[in-house]
Amino acid sequence: MVSHNKRLVAALAAVAAMGMGLAGCGSDTAGTDNGGSSDGGKVTITYMHRLPDSEGMTLVKDIVAKWNKEHPDIQVTATKFDGKASEMIKKLETDVKSGEAPDLAQVGYAELPEVFTKGMLQDVSQYADQYKDHYAAGPFSLAQVGGKTYGLPQDTGPLVYFYNKAEFDKLGITEVPQTESDFIEAAKKAAAAGKYIMSYQPDEAGNMISGLAGASGGWYKVDGDSWVVNTETDGSKATADFYQQLLDAKAVTTNPRWDPSFDASIKNGQLIGTVAAAWEAPLFITSSGGTGAGEWQVTQLGDWFGNAGKTGPDGGSAVAVLKSSKHPKEAMEFLDWFNTQVPDLVSQGLVPAATTEDAKTPSDWSNFFSKQDIMKEFKDANNNMGDFTYMPGFSAVVAKMNETAAKASDGSGKVADVFSEAQTTSVDTLKNLGLSVKE
Amino acid sequence: MSTAELNDKESRAAARARKKADKIRDKHANDLPRSMQPNALVKTVTILVLVFALIYFLFPIYWAIIASTKTPSQMTSGNGLWFAVGLPDLPAAIAKNYSTLLGWTRGQFWRWVLNSLIYSGVSALIGTLVAVMAGYATAKFNFKGKNLAIGVIMGCMLMPAALLTIPQYSIFHAVHLTNTMLAIIIPCCVSPFGFFLGRVYAQTSVPNELLEAARIDGASEARIFFTIVLRILAPAMVTIFLFLFVATWNNFLLPLMMVSSDTLKPVTLGLYGMVSLATFTDRGALMMGALLGVLPVIVLFLGLQRYWQAGLAAGAVKG
Amino acid sequence: MTATTQTAKTVVAKRAAKPKASDAAKRENRTGWAFMAPFGILFALVFILPIIWAIYSSFFRQVTVGGGAYGGGELVNKFVGLQNFQYVVTSGNFWAGVGRVVIYTLVQVPIMIIGALVLAMLIDSYIVKHITAFRLSYFLPYAIPGVVASIIWVYLYNGQISPLVKMLAAIGIKVDFFADNVVLASMANITTWTFTGYNMLIFLAALQAIPHDLYEAARIDGANGFQIAMRIKLPNVRAAALLAMLLSIVGTIQLFNEPQVMAISDPSISKSYTPMMMALNTSQGTLTPGGDGPASAVAIVMALIAGVLAVVYTLVERKVNAE
Repeated sequence: MVSHNKRLVAALAAVAAMGMGLAGCGSDTAGTDNGGSSDGGKVTITYMHRLPDSEGMTLVKDIVAKWNKEHPDIQVTATKFDGKASEMIKKLETDVKSGEAPDLAQVGYAELPEVFTKGMLQDVSQYADQYKDHYAAGPFSLAQVGGKTYGLPQDTGPLVYFYNKAEFDKLGITEVPQTESDFIEAAKKAAAAGKYIMSYQPDEAGNMISGLAGASGGWYKVDGDSWVVNTETDGSKATADFYQQLLDAKAVTTNPRWDPSFDASIKNGQLIGTVAAAWEAPLFITSSGGTGAGEWQVTQLGDWFGNAGKTGPDGGSAVAVLKSSKHPKEAMEFLDWFNTQVPDLVSQGLVPAATTEDAKTPSDWSNFFSKQDIMKEFKDANNNMGDFTYMPGFSAVVAKMNETAAKASDGSGKVADVFSEAQTTSVDTLKNLGLSVKE
Repeated sequence: MSTAELNDKESRAAARARKKADKIRDKHANDLPRSMQPNALVKTVTILVLVFALIYFLFPIYWAIIASTKTPSQMTSGNGLWFAVGLPDLPAAIAKNYSTLLGWTRGQFWRWVLNSLIYSGVSALIGTLVAVMAGYATAKFNFKGKNLAIGVIMGCMLMPAALLTIPQYSIFHAVHLTNTMLAIIIPCCVSPFGFFLGRVYAQTSVPNELLEAARIDGASEARIFFTIVLRILAPAMVTIFLFLFVATWNNFLLPLMMVSSDTLKPVTLGLYGMVSLATFTDRGALMMGALLGVLPVIVLFLGLQRYWQAGLAAGAVKG
Repeated sequence: MTATTQTAKTVVAKRAAKPKASDAAKRENRTGWAFMAPFGILFALVFILPIIWAIYSSFFRQVTVGGGAYGGGELVNKFVGLQNFQYVVTSGNFWAGVGRVVIYTLVQVPIMIIGALVLAMLIDSYIVKHITAFRLSYFLPYAIPGVVASIIWVYLYNGQISPLVKMLAAIGIKVDFFADNVVLASMANITTWTFTGYNMLIFLAALQAIPHDLYEAARIDGANGFQIAMRIKLPNVRAAALLAMLLSIVGTIQLFNEPQVMAISDPSISKSYTPMMMALNTSQGTLTPGGDGPASAVAIVMALIAGVLAVVYTLVERKVNAE
């Protein structure tokens, strides 16, 4: 008995040893992830991002390498998260609880209040103030929750209008219509010729339509310690009316933005005008496959959504300092440097929030957009953005809005439903988080 | 000579005999008696059905191969049935997407394929061994709590494994194993289905008499298991091995949560990373990554086909 | 051996009535557990502990404390009793998801199993030679990761890109694979494409294990190929078919990849389209109430339903067996 048990134990030990060896071979890389260990004055900062890091871009690790070379005392390790934003937040939430989260993480403006509420952020107001002048005021305030600063803005996503000037001319639409009724009329005229000057994107409804409706005024206001929610504002009604008319007249495309059919609609010349976020420019060029290159232009939104010439936000991210960071000062020092590396960030397809340096329009962008300085248009849009405060738990509202918007595109629902569903989901979400809502 | 050795010889002889029988049977099968020869109509219908199924299963893969040479804009133009560029330009198109793929994966693509091989290989190896041991234990021994153990394990076959990822992550965090290879290997080497197969195989193909004879000869239980039982169960183990291998290979949720270092990622995570970025458009490069990533699995299946089938048969007949 | 003998002696002394049996039983007990231990330990770590964690957390919700519009920057676990379960069982979205999974189980699984069976029988009929190519090609989709398989099919479903849709349109058939009443079938097709070959291999193996003298005997009795297939082959793969069925049902309950990827092209596929999607999205907070508590409750209720389904399945199987 003893002998055979011994052997069994030996066999198990062998298996275990194999495992240990593997653990060892993983742990040398794992050692860098312990959230800012200091070692004789040297500080290690970890930074998790979701930037594209695609071919032809200046890779994040190369940008970081530049910093590391100049700052032997503050060494930064960047890791790319290969999943969706919601998955990254979930992971970080667990990491923060166990104190092993990275020091810095990319967080969308729409998610920042949610991430704060989940207890993942560290108040860095005392370090942030000195960097305030480096950024546009709007984005800087989006990195704040309740007046305290939790990170620095990285890029912005003001909504603008992309259109193919040559195609517009062919249709006899000499300039982009500036009022709702003119626009709808033009859209009908274009549709009769098989062209579309607007797209309705159900999968972007939560982000884009909230931005359009929010251009004329926010949905979420704080009154004392309570939320006042109104997602059915005049701006929302105007937006719903605008899209509903276009849908009813079949004068708008309904391809989801991230479905290949959207790309196809630009490529085959059907779609010749659409609302887009500033960061979409390089993606739009890829999607088009060169169709209409040199003919496209960027312009500000007209007064189509009761927005009186204002625009709204769609996307854009801050980089926030997480609660478990032991070196917020150093983290912020690096972060300010990183977020002001304007040309590098532009190469990643971002419209930087930093104002320290003029972002230059890359030549392949301006070649596509009629030699236009589109960065300037984006900056103008940025300065013309309405105030839109996001509520904690907004991602649930986005999900519900997208689902409802899809029903409107196939006729089984109305665009107005998107806003009424947003209202109930917003109120439910806030209540479920234990926050107070004034009704 | 111990029983084990004797048995060893016996089983080798038996294997030889089996092989011979197989050959005879194969020959026989291809040379059916006249009364079983199908008529022309049956034959035509059979061929039609098989070819139709062939097209159904292969067409998407064919499409993926074509797509893997295309740029995002070529993807949405043309009819998708043929390469977007002429044959002379094809190598350049392939090279272009290959470099896009390497760019996306930050030059780590083959490293990730290697990682996937390590994860799948090691967890399938350990998983098979522990599953067969446990299956053998419940099939051939009576011990306290056996029925409870079987019930709990079988019950967990119904538990959506993906939902356990978050709590697993918390537990592995607590023991400081996250962001190591073990964080993927340990969860992947436990499979209730593997246990179930191991148990069925041990029940049906390990004769009690053989075990008794070995015991009377004084062989220890460990020796009996490692020299006799494992040999008999070899084909069954290949089945479990491949099942675990593919399951680990295709898993992305677990590595997504468990590892963050670039050097530890498996290839599916890289592919998932490409897809999950809303702004992703290089679908041709993605297809290329998927096809290149599948190659090792196909090679494995081709190489082990014989065992894999034999093992399936053993489980299927009495299952 | 000494240690064992010692314990054996004590046992003998204590239980004089059945000394031998007890000694052997004890040894067997120990050996059994020794073999069981490696799997058991891993199993506890990977399944038992997380399940206990899930059950525990299902009684809590994550809420803010400290007042203020944004809370105090901290979520705490608040004990809510059975409130999470109440939410799940009264949620129309949850039951709609369960309904989809049940339809899937009732339609997709039988189609796939029967398809696999037919293919296996045809290949095993030796009517066609060089079957290796067929066998391998049918099996190939199984090696493609689920997410990628779904992406490939999403393309093939897409009206503006797919050669399939274009060809059908050319011969006058207009199909919209994403239409509300078609989308579930489109999804089922992806699953069928991926797993039919795998199931076929299982059946093929079972078929090839049938002793050939059975065929001989049937032939002497004057049976034709079809009769042999129905009377000999079919009964012999029943066990394999039942196993494949059970596994497919388990897989269906976890339906996730296909709807998740298809939602990119069809945003009307909601975050709670299947219970599995609902659980993950709840845990990530894209559904409300969000967090681990409600997510665990979704998982647990679904596991219970799966358990009931499994029991029903076993009863049906027994009844069929008895007949």
